[in-house]
Formats: sequence, C-alpha cells, structure tokens
Amino acid sequence: MRTWIQREFLYRRRVYGVLFVAPAMLFFLVFSLYPTLNGFYLSLTEYTLLKPPVFVGFENYTKLAGNDQFQNGVKVTLWFLLGTTVPKWILSLALAMLFLAPFRGREFFKTLYFTPTLLSAVVVSLVWKLLLDPNGVISALAKPITRDPDTLWLSDRILTPISLIFVDDWAGIPFFMIIWIAGLVGIPRVFYEAALIDGTTRWQAFLHVTLPLLRPTILFVVVISTINSFQSFALQYVMTRGGPSDLTTTIALLVYNYGFNYFRMGQAAAMSVFMFFVIILITLIYIRSVRAEETSYT
Amino acid sequence: MASPDRYSEYAPAAYTGTRGSFSVHFRQKANGAALYAAMCLGLLFFCVPLYYMFTTSFKAESEVFAMPVHWIPHSFLPQNYVDAFLAAPFPRYFWNSLLVAVIVVGSTVLFSALAGYGFAKFDFPGRRLAFLFILSTMMIPFQVLLIPLFVVVHQLGWTNSYAGLIIPGALSAFGVFLMRQACLTLPDELMDAARIDGAREVGIFIRIVLPLLKPAIATLAILTFLGSWNNFLWPLIVVTKDELFTLPVGMTVFQQPMQAPYWTYIMAVSTVATLPVVIVFLLLQRYFIEGVVVSGLKG
Repeated sequence: MRTWIQREFLYRRRVYGVLFVAPAMLFFLVFSLYPTLNGFYLSLTEYTLLKPPVFVGFENYTKLAGNDQFQNGVKVTLWFLLGTTVPKWILSLALAMLFLAPFRGREFFKTLYFTPTLLSAVVVSLVWKLLLDPNGVISALAKPITRDPDTLWLSDRILTPISLIFVDDWAGIPFFMIIWIAGLVGIPRVFYEAALIDGTTRWQAFLHVTLPLLRPTILFVVVISTINSFQSFALQYVMTRGGPSDLTTTIALLVYNYGFNYFRMGQAAAMSVFMFFVIILITLIYIRSVRAEETSYT
Repeated sequence: MASPDRYSEYAPAAYTGTRGSFSVHFRQKANGAALYAAMCLGLLFFCVPLYYMFTTSFKAESEVFAMPVHWIPHSFLPQNYVDAFLAAPFPRYFWNSLLVAVIVVGSTVLFSALAGYGFAKFDFPGRRLAFLFILSTMMIPFQVLLIPLFVVVHQLGWTNSYAGLIIPGALSAFGVFLMRQACLTLPDELMDAARIDGAREVGIFIRIVLPLLKPAIATLAILTFLGSWNNFLWPLIVVTKDELFTLPVGMTVFQQPMQAPYWTYIMAVSTVATLPVVIVFLLLQRYFIEGVVVSGLKG
C-alpha cells in the first residue's frame, strides 16, 4: 500500500520531470531534429534563400556525381584525412608513452606541450600563415635543406596540402596525447606485473598488454580524429581559401562556398547529406566496436 | 627470462599507485640525457609558434620578415596593441565574443543541469526515448547542420542579430549527457528528505542539486566557454554586419587575402584572443584537462 506521501512524490516525479526536461527537448526539436530533416528536404530542392525552395527530386545528387569540384573535394578531403589521422595517432601515442615514465619536470613539460590546444583554429591558422610565409621563419629554418631563398609553402602545388596537414597535426597531437595518457593510466597495474613475471620484453608488453587494454581509447581517438579532420574548415578557409587552384578545397569548404558564396543551398545541402552519411557510418562502426568489446571482456 | 636490471627497477615504489604502471615495470633504460633532449626538442616544436606570436606582437612591422630571424624583438612596441585595436573595431569584436560566450555558458549550464536532473531523478512516460533522442543528436556533426540550421535562423529572422549568434548554441546534448551522469551519482534520499521537510522541487534543484553538481558544472562551463569563444564557422555565416562580428571572424576579415597584412597587429589581436583561454586554463587546469578528456570535443 502506498502512503499519501509516496503518491505525492510519484505525482511530482511525473510533472516536474517533464517540466525540467521540456526546455531541452524543445531546443533539440527546433535546432537539431527539424534542421536535420529539413536538410534532407532542402537537398531535394533548388533554393537561393530569396524564393521558396522548389522541389527538383534527386537532381542535386545526380549533378553532384558529375561535379568536378565535388570529386576534387572528395579527393582533397581523403588526402587530408590520411595525413591528419595516422601520423597524429602514432605521434601522440608515442609522446604519451614518454610521459608515463616519472622524471623531473614531467608536469612542466606536459603542461607546456598542451598549450597548442588553447589556441583557436583561427589563431593557429594565422600564426602558421605568418611562420609559413615565403620570407618567414620556416623558410629561414629550411634554407640549408631547400637552398631556396623563399619556398612557397602555401601556394606551391605539392607543398600546400602538406603544409596544411602539418599544421593540423601540430595543433592536434597535444590534445590526443592527453587522451592517450588518460587511457594508459587507467590500465590496472596487475596486468603488467603478470607480464613481468612471464618475462616479457617491453615491446611485447606494449603489443600484448597495452594495446588490447587500450582498445576503448583507440576507438575514441580514431573516431574523433577522423570526424574532426573530415570537418576541418577554419584551417583551409584562413590559410589558403582552398587554393592554389582548389588543391585544398575540402568538402567542408565546398559546402560553405556553395551555400554562402553561390547561394545554391540545395546543392550545398546535398553535399552535407553526403557528409552526414559518411560520418554516421564511422560513428556506427565505432558504436558497434565498443559494444563488441564490452561483451568480450565482461 | 627477464634481465636482472629490469628486476632492479621493480622497486617497492612501484606499488604506491597505479599511475604509469607500464613505465614503472618496463622502464626505458633511464637514459636521462636522451629523454631530456627529446623533451626539449618537443618543447620547441609545440611552444615556439606561440612564443613567436607573442614576440611578433611587439615588433615593428619592418622587423617581421627580417633575416636572419629576430627571435628576440629588436624593437619593443606595446603601442601595437593600442594601434591594432584602433585599426579595426576589435574592442567591439572582443565584447561580442565575450557576451556571446557568457550567455551561452550560462544557458548551457542551466538547461543542461535541469534536463540532466530530470532524466536522472524523475520518472515520466517517454523518458528513455526522450533521452535517447537527445543523445542521438550528438551524432549529427555541425557541418551537416550548417545549411539547414542557417535556413531555420533565416526563417526566424535572426540573421545579423545576437539571437542568431547565441540561441542555436545555447544548449548542448553533451551537456545534458554530462549532467545526467553527474545526477545519477546523487543519492535519492537527499532529495526525498528535503521533500519530507516540505521543500519545493525548484528549491531542491537550486539549493541541493546545483551545489552538488559543481565539479561537473565547472567542466561543462569551461568546455562550453572554449567552444563558444573559439567558434568560427557559425558566426562567420550568421552575421555579415561589422558591429556583430566575433573576434575570430573579425580577425579573418581584417586579414584579407588580397591586402598586405599587418602581421604585428594580427599577432597582437591573436595574443589578446588567446588570453582569456590561458587565464581559464591556469585557474582551472584540473577541470580543464578533465573536460578535454571526457568530451573529446574541440574546435
């Protein structure tokens, strides 16, 4: 039997629960669900903001398939993705491993290594634009190798994409280093004790103890870095505006150009939908892997 | 078999904690000199760009591309900061950025905490579904929302307004998630006791729940501030009027590709733009790094 007080609390739980959650629900309905659905619809229309959208079916998508700019964008994005994920994972993990050993001044170094994370993407882009100026610091430092008085780091056909990849890695490595350290520190000591008793070498312990137990962190790093790189915008926008001759025009930049320079919202929305499915695919693979891992370990 | 020198590392000190167990048991043959050399090299790699930003902001414009590189400025011109802030409406941009960030942080913390508390401690029909819905919006990347979200704001007539800058960012699914996790750890008895004492639900939320959520709120507030302060893409598209630009947008507009950049001014403004983040970082380093780790959100 319920006392009146329990009944009163139960009633409150319903009413106040709904009341507390309502603002957030309203917000996400208006600013997440509606735009998402509307994005799919807009991708099937021609829309310039001035007149109401005109339904055109799958025309935007068929146009996309034959759009050289888009195909170029996919290629540029994939190369950028490759250059800003794999090196980032390996280098940030290596740094994190170095920081596991106790040594004098460890916290000092760790804190200072972390500082690039404090800069906004715009500031990173501006500072590196200065450093990578043909007459700038990097040219001066590289002169013994390049023997070139002014290397065109940000307008050469081959060097420009590499420069952008380098800057993105520079800005991202400290961030992922912190994530790796958090994951590494969480590995229980007993596993290493067991490995030591079994007489494993350091490298074997890393391969057979550290890596398998680090799997949740690995998945996290892989997915977050992939999605971040896939969406990279400020770097390209500020440093090169996609140039030279579209060699750094990623899909993200194309969406912006089509939407807000050419005002072809329908075409831009179709590109967004393409990005949406790629990112959802990555996320689903991530969730599946995490689930599989949970069932196999517990 | 393990080599004897590795056993010599196997000291009782290893048992004082779990931190860094890999290196305690499998320590690099402590080659101190090589380690410090590598560390200092890394330090140069990660910190010299910042150092160069800071020092360039005090240089004379003619000195910026001087060869050999002036690692230490030959001239010292704090006046650059004044001149830079007069060269474009940077004080206005700074104020806009600050205003937007403060309101976004306040609103995100308040509504996330409310919703998180509601999801964790109340029972109502559709609760699980509603929470799953909010969680799933986390999977939608901002790039994808860009066009349709702009269309919504356009339809509401909020382009070129503070509302357009602030409201679409005024709450985050991640915030709701974080607050729910934090609320789940609170014991029910605490709230029930207050109820028996006759407290109202809103009073319980303000006087009991919010104070207990302080660490989670600090983490969320820092992350939200960082995200808002550094946000570039959304303000870039939603405002076109000079007086509504935020600092990142104002900086990129000031540094037009076609015109000769005033690098000393740009570096002065970059330094000022970085300052609030550095201050927050130094004051709340623990929450800061924790926030970075739990969220994985950046930029």
